[in-house]
Amino acid sequence: MPDTNTLELTIFSILALFMLGGSLTMISAKQTYISAFGFLVAMLGLAGEFALLDSRFLAVAQIMVSVGAIVILSILTILTINAKEENLPNEPYKFLWIIGTAILIAPFTFLLYNVLTLLPEHFATLEAINSKVVGKLLFSEWVLPFEIVSILLLTAMLGAIVIARDKVKGAKR
Amino acid sequence: MSPSLFFLLASLLFSIGLVGIISRKNLFVIYMSIELILSSINLLLATLSKVLGDASGSVIALLLIAVIAAEAALFLAIIIHLYKRHKTLDADKFNKLSEVN
Repeated sequence: MPDTNTLELTIFSILALFMLGGSLTMISAKQTYISAFGFLVAMLGLAGEFALLDSRFLAVAQIMVSVGAIVILSILTILTINAKEENLPNEPYKFLWIIGTAILIAPFTFLLYNVLTLLPEHFATLEAINSKVVGKLLFSEWVLPFEIVSILLLTAMLGAIVIARDKVKGAKR
Repeated sequence: MSPSLFFLLASLLFSIGLVGIISRKNLFVIYMSIELILSSINLLLATLSKVLGDASGSVIALLLIAVIAAEAALFLAIIIHLYKRHKTLDADKFNKLSEVN
């Protein structure tokens, strides 16, 4: 039993290092695509944490949607825009800002962690949350939120098309 | 393995996202920080799902992934639109709505 625990702890530490390193790279890099790669590493680490928490379906969905769609779409947009050095914001005191904000937010982090540790200290014994369990719950208890999310996705798609559309026709008039 | 490690990781990620939103001016970094905050909430939901022994947390996290995808589509469209207009990624330059008179 202690062996399994040590192994889990090791995997957790590696994934947590990936996530923290990726997110710190994300907020501190000057070039935007380096930030995007940091974000990619953080999202991959998050998928691993989901797998460690026995949420198998969630881990697969995270890799498919977050890594496969969102991050790749972000990198594609960044490479399409291809912002030159002069188009990036001028941030001479970036690290000072980051450190100052971190000091400001540290008490909040401490508070958040302390509130969360009031919750139960042990994991419940639960079989792995696979697609069967998730599917049954999704189409019985959570069917209304599911439908609302589908409408939200449709609306967001229409909105994105309208916002990003070329206004060439309008300019000619 | 105790849940408090996961809680610590989730609160750290939330705070890193918050720091990114407040301290940076690059629109893309702000967007990715918002995504990071939402993802830390996802991690918290998955942890609570295992702590309470209820798969509903995983279902909510799944729905939240869809919401994150919708947010990403809209935010990227807005960034492309703003960049076409002003040729900059500086969030401080987009202050048109703040002109009172």
